[in-house]
Amino acid sequence: MKNFFRKVAYGIGPNEDIPSDPLKWALDQLDEVPDLSWQGKIYTEKELRGHYRDYVYNDRKKLRKKYKNNKTLYKTHKDILRHNTGQKFWESLEISIRHNEGINSNSPVLAKLWMFWGNFFAISDKDFLANYSTGPYHREIIRPNLNQTFEKMVYDVTTSWAMIHHLDNSESAGPNSLTAGQDWRIEKKKPASINENHARELLELHTVSPKAGYTQEDVIQLAYIMTGWQQRWSKKKLETGNVWFNSEYHQPGKKNVLGKEYKKGKKTLAVVIKDLVNHPNCRDFVAERLCRYLINDEPTKEMKQPIIDAFKKSDGHLTEIHKAAIKVAFNYNNKFKKFQTPENWFIQAAKIGDLKWPPPVDLMDSYTLGDKPVRQQRYPERVLRNIGHHPYRAKQPNGWSDHSDDWMSPELLIRRLVYADRSYDFLKSGNDNKEFYEKIINNNFDKPDKLKDYLFKNMVYRSSERNVLLFNHPEFLKA
Amino acid sequence: MRINRRDFLKTTALTSLYFAGFGTPTLANKGTKKNLVVIMLRGGMDGLCAIPIKGDKNFEKLRSKINLDRTLKLTSDFDLHPALETFKKLWDQNQGAAVHATNIPYTGRSHFDGQNLMESGGKIPYQVKTGWLGRGMKSAGLTGKGLALALPMPLLIRGVPMNNNYYPVGDRLPSKETMSIIEQAFKDHDEKLLSENLKIVMTRDLKNQGNRENWSLASNAGEQLSKPNGPRVAVFEVDGFDTHAAQGATNGAHADCLNDYDRIVKGLYQSMSKKAFDNTLIVTLTEFGRTIKQNSSNGTEHGYGSAVFLAGGLVKKAQIHTDWPGLKRKELFEGRDLNSTIDSRSIYASAMSTVFDVDFKKITKEVFWGENLQNLSNKLFKT
Repeated sequence: MKNFFRKVAYGIGPNEDIPSDPLKWALDQLDEVPDLSWQGKIYTEKELRGHYRDYVYNDRKKLRKKYKNNKTLYKTHKDILRHNTGQKFWESLEISIRHNEGINSNSPVLAKLWMFWGNFFAISDKDFLANYSTGPYHREIIRPNLNQTFEKMVYDVTTSWAMIHHLDNSESAGPNSLTAGQDWRIEKKKPASINENHARELLELHTVSPKAGYTQEDVIQLAYIMTGWQQRWSKKKLETGNVWFNSEYHQPGKKNVLGKEYKKGKKTLAVVIKDLVNHPNCRDFVAERLCRYLINDEPTKEMKQPIIDAFKKSDGHLTEIHKAAIKVAFNYNNKFKKFQTPENWFIQAAKIGDLKWPPPVDLMDSYTLGDKPVRQQRYPERVLRNIGHHPYRAKQPNGWSDHSDDWMSPELLIRRLVYADRSYDFLKSGNDNKEFYEKIINNNFDKPDKLKDYLFKNMVYRSSERNVLLFNHPEFLKA
Repeated sequence: MRINRRDFLKTTALTSLYFAGFGTPTLANKGTKKNLVVIMLRGGMDGLCAIPIKGDKNFEKLRSKINLDRTLKLTSDFDLHPALETFKKLWDQNQGAAVHATNIPYTGRSHFDGQNLMESGGKIPYQVKTGWLGRGMKSAGLTGKGLALALPMPLLIRGVPMNNNYYPVGDRLPSKETMSIIEQAFKDHDEKLLSENLKIVMTRDLKNQGNRENWSLASNAGEQLSKPNGPRVAVFEVDGFDTHAAQGATNGAHADCLNDYDRIVKGLYQSMSKKAFDNTLIVTLTEFGRTIKQNSSNGTEHGYGSAVFLAGGLVKKAQIHTDWPGLKRKELFEGRDLNSTIDSRSIYASAMSTVFDVDFKKITKEVFWGENLQNLSNKLFKT
C-alpha cells in the first residue's frame, strides 16, 4: 500500500505523518492550484523572454557584427552577454522550483501531474528555449490549467509564445493570404506557404493522436486554420513579442478538418480545438498516457475507461480527469508496480531521504545578473542532464517516454548508482544513522524488516553506499 | 536530367533474375569478424539535400533558398553535400555508396510513428517491441555483441540479450561489493533486465570518463569494434534533421546534422584497425525524407523517399544505387515528396545477411515476418 505515495507522488518524508486515508489524501490535492511553495524569487515568463531577446536576437547579433573580424573578442563578449542575460542560471532555478513542489509543497500529487502535463505538451530542446522559456512555460501555461478544462489547456498551450516558437507557427503563411501578395515577397522571392509542424503536432501529440486516422490533407487544412498565430514582431521586442493573430498571414476561405467545415478567422482556432478535444480518440489518448505514466506500460481498456468516462461527463475538466486517474492508480496499486523514470526517482530519493534538495532559497536568491552562477547554483541543470531526463531538454516534441524499457540500459543504471552515491553529500546532519534509515523505510515500505536487513546486514565500504543500496533496491525503483 | 528510369528498371530486373537461382549469398570470409554499424538520423533526413540530383531546373527552382552553392562530385547524375567530406573520401576509395529514393514503407509523415517503425521494422506503430537489428542479431546468435552509443537502449537493437551501451557518466562507480549486493536483490526480485544491465556494468571494460559527442563516442566504438572479441554491432543516433525552418544549404542546420554523421564515420575510420574497417559496414536509417519544395520559412516539410548512406570496407563499390522515380509533379509521392522505389528494409536485410553471414531468406523470415524483400547483397556489398 505504501508504494501508492510514490506512485502518485514522491513518497513520505521522515517528518511527515503517514496519511490514514491515502486515496482521500491524494484526491484532496486536486481541486485547487495553490501558489508555488518556493519562497525565493520567481521571475515572470515575460521578463525571462526579454533576456531571450537580448541574447538570441538583439545584443548577440550586434556583437557578431561588431567583432566579425575578431573571433576571440566575440567569444569573450558573448560570454559576458550570456551572464548578463542569466543564461546559465534560470534553468536551475526553474528545476529548483519544480522539485520543491514535489518535495516541500502540500500538494505533491498535483506536482506529479504538473510534471506529466509539462511532458505531454513538451517543449523539446530547441534554440535557447530551455535556458529561458520552458520552465516559465510550465509554471505559467501548464500549471494554472491543472484545474481547468483540457480544452482550455490545449488552447493556452497552442497560443503560448514557447509553443509557437517551438513548432515554427510564426513562419506559417497562407498561400492566398494578404501577405502572399506583398511586394517584398516577390522581390525577395519568398512566396507564402504554410509550415505544417505545429498543426501536425497539435493533432498527433496534443489531442487526437494518429489513431484518429487523419490525413495529410487534414494536417494542411489545420495548418491553414492556424496561419496568422504568431509572435508579434516589433522593433523593440523583435521576435519575442506576445503571440497574436495576424490576419495578414491568415489563409482565407473555408477549411475542412476531419470531415468538418470551418470558417476563416481568428476565432476558428478555438472552435477546431473544441472539436479535437471532444474527439473520442483524444479522450482515449489522454487516458492512455495518464495510465502509462502512473500505472503500467500497456494500459488496458478497463483501466482507461473510468478516465474516459470522467472526461466525457465533466466536459474535459482536468480535476475530474485527475481524480479518476488517481482512483484507477489506487485500484491497481498492488497489481502493477511502475518502474520510475529518472527524474521521478531522483525527486523521491530527495524527499524520502530528506536530502538538502533543491538548493536552498538563499543560495538561489544570491544570484546576481551578470555573474557566472556558482557550481551549486548550476547543479540542478547539470544533474538532470546527466541522468538523461532533463524536463526542458527532451530530444523531440513528443517529450520523454513513459515506457519502462526506454529507461533501462547499462548506462542509465550507472546514473542511478552514481547519483545515489552522490546523494550522500546532500544528507542533512543528524540523519546519518540507523534510526533515520529505519524511519524512512517504515514510512515508505510495507515490509520494512526485509529492507532493513538488506541495508544493515550487508557491509558497505563507504557510508555513502548505504544510499546506493537503498535507492537502487527494486522496491525503490518501482512504485 | 540524364538519368533514365527505364534503363534503371531494366538493369534491376535483369540482375534480379540472374541472382534468383542462387539463393544464399556465398559465405566468403567466414571466420573474419565483420561489423555492422547503424547510424539513425532522426527527424527526417533530406536525401535531396545530402545527395542532390544534377541539372534538374525544376528542382533548383523549388529550392531557390536552400540550394547548395558548393557540392562535391559523385556521379554524372548526383552531387554530394560538402559537409560529407569523410564520406567523399571513402567514396573515392570505393568504400562509400548510397541508395537513393528509398525508405521504409511508411507514408504517414509522423516522426514518432515513423521512428518507431524504422527501428522495429514493422508496419503498425508501437506494435513490435523489438528492433530489426536486435532480431537479426538474435537470428545470427550474436548475444552480448551489441553496443549502443547513446544513454538509452534504442529500440532498434532490442530483441537480443546482453546489449551494452556507452555514454560516459564522468564519475566513479560504487564498489563492486555494493553492486553485488544489489545484483542479489535484483535476482531475488526476478528483475531480469536490470540484472542483465548490472552484470554488464560490473564486467565491462569501458572508461566512465570521456567526451559524449558523437565523434568521440565513435572513436571509442571503433576501438571496441576492432577487438577480436569486441562488439559486432554498434548503433549511433544523430538528432535534429527536422528542419521546418531555416534548413540552411551549404551551411546551416541540415548541414550540421550531416556533418555530425560524417564525423561519426570519420571517428570510426580513424580509430579502427585497417582490417576491422575493411570488414565493417556503416549504414544509415531515417524515418522519412523531406518535401521537394521549400516552405516560406526556408525549411522543408515531412516527406517520404530519402537516401541511405553506405560506408566501410564491405561496400561493394562507389555507386548511387537507385530506381530513380523522377521529380516531375506526377512522379512525386502525393505530388510533393520524392518517391521511394526501394524498400529500405531490403538494404538492411541484405546488410545483416552479409555481415552476420546468415542466409537472406532466414533474415527476412525471422526478422521481417517473411515479407517480400529484395536481396541486394550482391549489388551493394562484398559478399
